[in-house]
Amino acid sequence: MNPGIAVVCRDREVSRWLEQWLASTRLVPPVPLTLAVDVTGTLPVDDGDPRQPFCQPILEIRSGPPQGDVRIRWLQAPAWAAIASSGRTAEVHLTPEALADRDLVARSFLTTVLIFLLRRAGWHHVHGATARDPTGRGWLFAGNTQSGKSTTAALLASRGWAVGTDDVAFLVQDGGSVDVVAQRATIALRPEGAALLGLAGGTPVRGGQKTAFFPEELGGAWAERVTPQILVLPRVGGGDVTWAEPLRPREALAELVRWSGWVLLEPALAQEHLDLLNALARQVRSYRLTLGPDLFKHPDLFTELIP
Amino acid sequence: MRLTALDGEGVALHLGTRRYYSVSESGLDLLDALTAPKSLEELVAVLLSKYEVTLEQATASAREFIEHGVRTGVLVVEEVP
Repeated sequence: MNPGIAVVCRDREVSRWLEQWLASTRLVPPVPLTLAVDVTGTLPVDDGDPRQPFCQPILEIRSGPPQGDVRIRWLQAPAWAAIASSGRTAEVHLTPEALADRDLVARSFLTTVLIFLLRRAGWHHVHGATARDPTGRGWLFAGNTQSGKSTTAALLASRGWAVGTDDVAFLVQDGGSVDVVAQRATIALRPEGAALLGLAGGTPVRGGQKTAFFPEELGGAWAERVTPQILVLPRVGGGDVTWAEPLRPREALAELVRWSGWVLLEPALAQEHLDLLNALARQVRSYRLTLGPDLFKHPDLFTELIP
Repeated sequence: MRLTALDGEGVALHLGTRRYYSVSESGLDLLDALTAPKSLEELVAVLLSKYEVTLEQATASAREFIEHGVRTGVLVVEEVP
C-alpha cells in the first residue's frame, strides 16, 4: 500500500492492482490523497462542459473557470476523472476496455490523474530525469521524450550515479530549497539508446518498442529525492561531438516553464507552480547539452563539460 | 495572467490562451499595472515613473507593447466613450 494515497474501489481485484501500482511509484505526498475509483460500463455524461480542452495525444484535459475543477478524459479507451480545485480526492471512472491494458492505462491516464492530484499536495510536475552524482550533487535533466534524457540517465546509472526517474518528477518546496521527487520507474530505452550504451538484457516494455532497466541493474542506485544544483536541458545533436552551453537563469526559467506544461492549467495553482520554477531557476547552474556519440565512448566527458 | 520575475526580466503565463511569454523588465511593469484596465496614458506614466525615458519613447514602447499584446490575444483594447 501507498501510505500517502488511499484507494477506494468496490472492485477488489482492481483495488489491489491500483494499490500495488501506487506503492510501486513510491510517491508519498505530505498530505493524504485519495483515488476514488468506479469500475463501470458507462462514463458520466460530460457534454455540458464549455471549457476548451487542453489536448494531448490521447488525453483531453479541461480546467479553470467556471467549474474550477479539472476533468481528464482518456481517448485510448473510455476513462474519465475529475478533481475539485481544492479537493484531495480524484473521482475516477474506468471501463473494462480501459482496464484491458493495465500498463498503458496506468502510464498514460492514471499517471496524469496522479499529476493533478499531487498538485493539491504542493507537488508540481516537471518532465524530467533526476540524478545524484557520486559527490552528492543533485541534477535535473528537463526535456521531452526525444531529448536523450533516458539514455543520459542510463549512462549515469552505469557510472554509479543514483538515478531517480527518467521521465516523471515533481518539484517540492523543502524549507529554503526546491527538491525534486522522483516517481519510481524503470529507465526505458529505445533500441538505439541501448545499443549506444552496449546494454543487453532488461525488460521489454511498450510492446517491445523499448527495453527497461532499474538504475540498480545498471550499476547505480535509486534516488528518491534530489536537491538540484545543476539543470541540464539535453537534446540529441546531429553531429559527432557533445557540447555544453551555459544558460542564464532567465533562460533556464523559460525552459522550465516549457517542460512543466501543466503550469498553464488551473488558475488557483498556477502561481505556486510558477514560483517553484522561478526558485529552481535561481537555485541551479543551467546548461544546454547537445549530445553526440562521443559521450558514450568517453563518459567522463559529461563532468568535464559540466564540472 | 500569472507573472514571475528573475534578474529584471521574467515570464508571463496567459492562462486563457495557455501560452507563455518571456517578458522584459518594462513589460513586466506594464503587465503588473494591467491587473486592472488602464489607458495608454496611464501605461506611459508607469514607464515614465520608473525609467529615464522621454515621453515619446515611453509612448512608443507602450504602444508597441499593446499592439503585440493584442496580436497575441493577451490584451484587449476597448474604446471608452
